[in-house]
Amino acid sequence: MQLSTFEALAMLSAVLGILILGTTLLRTNLSFYRFHTLAIVALTVWIGHITKEAHLYIVAAAVLLVKVLFIPSFLGWVMKKAEVGSDKQAFIAAPLSMHLGAIMLGISYLLSSRIPGLEGVHQEGSHLGSTAAMSILFTGVLLMLTRRAALSQILGFLVIENGIYLFAVTQTHGMPMLVEMGLLLEVLVGVMISGLLLFNIKKSFEHIDVSQLTDLKD
Amino acid sequence: MNELGLLFTIPSLTALLSLFIKKTAITGKLCALAAWLQLALVISVLLPILTGHSTSISFAPGLIVDKLGSYFILLTTFVVACALTHADYFFQAQAVIGEPYKDSRLKLFYAVVNIFLMAMTSVFLCDSLGYLWIAIEATTLSSAPLVYFERNKHALEATWKYLIVCSVGIAFALLGTVFIFAASQRSDLGSGTLNVSELIVSAKTLSFPLLRLGFIFCLLGYGTKAGIFPLHSWLPDAHSEAPAPASAMLSGSLLNCALFGIWKASTVITAAKPEAPAFHLVAVMGALTVVAASIFIIRQHNLKRLWAYSSIENVGLMVFAIGLGSGPLFFLQALNHSLAKVSLFLISGNIVQAAGTKKLSKLHGLLENSPFWAGALALASLAVAGAPPFGSFMTEMSLLTLSLGHKYYILAALINVALAVSFLGILAHTGKVIFGAGKPDFKVFSERRAALVPMLLVASTLAIGLLVNYESR
Repeated sequence: MQLSTFEALAMLSAVLGILILGTTLLRTNLSFYRFHTLAIVALTVWIGHITKEAHLYIVAAAVLLVKVLFIPSFLGWVMKKAEVGSDKQAFIAAPLSMHLGAIMLGISYLLSSRIPGLEGVHQEGSHLGSTAAMSILFTGVLLMLTRRAALSQILGFLVIENGIYLFAVTQTHGMPMLVEMGLLLEVLVGVMISGLLLFNIKKSFEHIDVSQLTDLKD
Repeated sequence: MNELGLLFTIPSLTALLSLFIKKTAITGKLCALAAWLQLALVISVLLPILTGHSTSISFAPGLIVDKLGSYFILLTTFVVACALTHADYFFQAQAVIGEPYKDSRLKLFYAVVNIFLMAMTSVFLCDSLGYLWIAIEATTLSSAPLVYFERNKHALEATWKYLIVCSVGIAFALLGTVFIFAASQRSDLGSGTLNVSELIVSAKTLSFPLLRLGFIFCLLGYGTKAGIFPLHSWLPDAHSEAPAPASAMLSGSLLNCALFGIWKASTVITAAKPEAPAFHLVAVMGALTVVAASIFIIRQHNLKRLWAYSSIENVGLMVFAIGLGSGPLFFLQALNHSLAKVSLFLISGNIVQAAGTKKLSKLHGLLENSPFWAGALALASLAVAGAPPFGSFMTEMSLLTLSLGHKYYILAALINVALAVSFLGILAHTGKVIFGAGKPDFKVFSERRAALVPMLLVASTLAIGLLVNYESR
């Protein structure tokens, strides 16, 4: 089976996303997140190249700046300051959750060819764009459900957001630029606020295991 | 464009000033004054719509305010103005009765409230679903510091859950927005648009499977933010841990923003296919939320959580109104709920502050301690529970009548029973708080002033119940 550049980049981003599930070392998680987002940036640039939509280059540059360069570095700094290294007690062991992620990739492939309307606009007859996006979405959800550390929750949210972004890039001819920029700003502010909260969680509770935050209930 | 800038001038200036003024007593009064000025300004900008001279005002591409939106802006500004007026009293009372809050924390509170007001105002200005999403996420981010106000472990837990659950929920609304945009690119619109006004015009040509998918994701996403069952888990935590003026704003104005998002998305799908099965989901989810909330109301043992669940119940009713496609009823329900619930949260804040506990089992004898507050609490809880002749009774009646017209017999019956159950539940709980032996360590500070804003709000929802002619709707 021959993959076009578009399909190869989409799959690369999905696989790099799944690799985040493969370890509970938070620093490695962050690096994989960086590479995974970098693949998405490359895909954006490639789509900009084949569709001649110049605004996609600007969006790609902004994503590179915010999500590849700034956010992982910021979260790395938060990790260092809060002195957390790994997410020890994940609900599901890392190798198992990575395999689950791989299975979800397969399910995404089947789903994306079944759901009408997900053909994608750049590659006639190819579902791989929406397959990758859906798989990244599932990866993010898995990350949020199976991990306990507050940092993994933030990372899970970021991965989900990447999946949605990939949907936007592969299923449409690019969202309006103002919307894309507003979105990036929200993600940036959201990550910074939750990073600050994480400090406070560490300070008050002396851990960042959010599954232990269960004082409030009826 | 000028008018758009005008709408944001006062809050942005006040936000800046709050950070720099040293005396927080002055900031409190200034913010309250600024909020009332903002209300006057909003009325003057929106006057052509309010008097019926025009149906909408366009500020910029993608930023159009229609009749429903302008009513909601008025309501939001009014709620914030009331809450800020009361906040000035609330923080003073805290300084007298208990441990005063640090000045730096109060400064941040006032600055953030103004940013929050701007975010909420912009929600109702959006015609573009993309901008709408950004504005709603901005309301989440700007209200997180309000929930974290107390700076203790419980507040931290509530804020964390609020931020994560709502952000992920809203992320799914973004996915829905992407799908709707994709649907518009496979239609007459060619290059696609997110502007609701354009989407409605060419709704019939949109790719329906994508539109349906987009709508369902928007419903779930914004529904999480509005607190519909079973996605409501964050709501009671956030509403009970925030300080009373912030709880009042979260309940009385923030929930309306998320519901407005559902309303916008639903106008597109009903224009595409009036009887789409996916759209029935809205009414069903609304009814389910009312039923679930009424059960939670019965078994509450925390005063502020009780009101939070009552908010969820009212959100259910509003979602149900959206499911019936009735904009006016949606607004009237929101209006009556906001007025009564803000009043309740403010008066309950006083009670909690004076008694030093939120636990229902430890609250009793309010009538003996402070008859004035007891009266306000009784009236406000009657108004929230929907007793005649308060405004919410009239809206709930019209809602049920209208639902019979739509042949939602089972849902109407379910809602009817649930409303009766929660009515009894709320009255039983407030009865226990009001009657019984008074508490010896109940510290009342400036009793009449404390009840001023809550009483005014209750009076206004009573006036709505008596004066608005529901037959014409």
